[in-house]
Amino acid sequence: MIEVNALSKKIGDVQALNDLSFSAQNGKITGLLGPNGAGKTTCLRTLFNLLTPDQGTALIDGIDVSDNPMAAKQKMGLFPDPFGLYERLSPEEYISYFAQLSGMDKKSAHLATQDVIQRLHMQDIAKRRCKGFSQGQRMKTALAQAIVHRPNNLILDEPTRGLDVMSTRTLRQLLLDLKAQGHCILFSSHVMQEVSALCDEVVLMSQGRAVAHGSPEQLCQLAGKKNLEDAFIELIGSDEGIAA
Amino acid sequence: MSQLWVILKKELKDALRDRRSVMAALSYSIGTPLIMALVFMAMIDKYASPKTLYINIEGGAQAQELIDYLASKDIKQGGDATVEGGKQDASSKDILLRVDQRFSQNYSQGQVATVTIIADLSNERLKSSVSRLRQQLRSYGSEVAAIRLLARGVSPEVVRPLDVQMQDMAKAEAKGAFLVGIFIFIMIYAVFISGMNLSIDTSAGERERNSLALMLSLPLRVSDLVLAKVLAVSCFAMAGLVLINISFLLAFQFMPWHEMGLDINFSPQFQATVLLLGLPIALMAAALQLCVSFMAKTFKEAQSYLTLVLMAPMGLAMAAGYDIGPDMLQWLPVSGQQKALMELVKGNELPLQPTLIATGVTLSICAVLVAAMVHMLKREKTVFAL
Repeated sequence: MIEVNALSKKIGDVQALNDLSFSAQNGKITGLLGPNGAGKTTCLRTLFNLLTPDQGTALIDGIDVSDNPMAAKQKMGLFPDPFGLYERLSPEEYISYFAQLSGMDKKSAHLATQDVIQRLHMQDIAKRRCKGFSQGQRMKTALAQAIVHRPNNLILDEPTRGLDVMSTRTLRQLLLDLKAQGHCILFSSHVMQEVSALCDEVVLMSQGRAVAHGSPEQLCQLAGKKNLEDAFIELIGSDEGIAA
Repeated sequence: MSQLWVILKKELKDALRDRRSVMAALSYSIGTPLIMALVFMAMIDKYASPKTLYINIEGGAQAQELIDYLASKDIKQGGDATVEGGKQDASSKDILLRVDQRFSQNYSQGQVATVTIIADLSNERLKSSVSRLRQQLRSYGSEVAAIRLLARGVSPEVVRPLDVQMQDMAKAEAKGAFLVGIFIFIMIYAVFISGMNLSIDTSAGERERNSLALMLSLPLRVSDLVLAKVLAVSCFAMAGLVLINISFLLAFQFMPWHEMGLDINFSPQFQATVLLLGLPIALMAAALQLCVSFMAKTFKEAQSYLTLVLMAPMGLAMAAGYDIGPDMLQWLPVSGQQKALMELVKGNELPLQPTLIATGVTLSICAVLVAAMVHMLKREKTVFAL
């Protein structure tokens, strides 16, 4: 479970996060939806203590990220954008490396790596070096890295960007499986269909703050629109009315 | 500690698969000594006088005795190109010894007889041959003078009031000290060159590939990450140092020391000392290169910064090699180790105290740089190049 309380962060002259609060529950997929520059990536970086907030706190399973970053990070997996693969390592080596760095010993890292390779049907590419991989193969490798140590919370930054239909389906199925197992999944996106198809909860972000929070249906009702896209435009456009 | 080990293993595996990093480490260490050997061999061939010197002699019939004397000293009339027992250096025939027309007459009358050496003295190749010829002519003159004096009942000692003798105090090893200074500098520099590409790849390159932020989002200590990278780069640097040592040993087999009047060889103790004193330099070089590269935003930017930064150790080593600059050089990194190794090569004791101080200073600089990097990587500005 991820709780964000009144986070504020200024980067240069830009107020990237402005009193942002929301929570993402276990067993649910929560989408952080907002236009480019809304502060989604800044928010995710703050969760990993890569950015220090000026104000506010972020709790991962009840652990304050600023107070105990090591313990908090142990409970999270990150699917980053861009992926940050090591081109000269094979997926097997890459995934096992991250498993060990997330605190597993060599043997359990090896077992967990084999397990996740099977789960994502990566046997055919597991021993090839990542250089020259297709976008879908890269996505799988990055995803495997994020979940290999079985973190309770999975955080994905723009996960479907640049993926073909097959890869998107694989990703979607995996997220639904993880959700069924009770994991907390938080992802940022600006792709409407993705969010409405997957998310139980949507946090609508604009200019560093959460302007609305609820299920896709609730958001549609709130904006008085039939689909999420129209609701999104309505809610972002009349920002002040919602906040009031 | 275990995470440090995991990262170090991955860094080395990754680096060994990077052809550019490996080539950078290998090419300098293997190539430089061999190129030097080739250059020395070419130089000796070019500048040394050949075993049998062939010259042109004009009017030799006037001075048969002189010609015979020169021939006994391996300086011969070189009309024909075929010479037994050695290659003929065509350029030596560019030396012409002209015997004056009245040589025979003046000589027999005990008057000054003239011989003229005609050669292009701007030609470096001829210099040593010309001076060899002059030397032999002079000693022929002295012998004749001595005989003439004796014939007149005067001891030749009368015209030789001074007997100047030289006694070379230098140990045989010290003779090539200057050259050895350059070799040591080349070896120490291998430490900087060998790890350079890797240090850029694993810092600025890592950020360019977007894996740096990902690494820092993992539950690991930043100090483990930094230390593992420093150790990985140091491993490459030390591998370069070991290689260049072996390469020098091989190259020495081909170097014409004897003809240069030198005897240079690196003993096993000397090589062990090079590796021992090189270790702290390798650690410092790795930390320095990584620190500078982390400040750069891209691979290319890091490359240009590092080229500038590497002037500093080069300057220190040069100053120590030429023995210029203040005494404190012996306590500084690079120059301290360079001076210590030069003493060792001269056959002297290793200057223990300055060497220990230099090692301490080197390691302290390394520690400061590591601390600076840990601090930098905790700052969002460095991580995201804001």
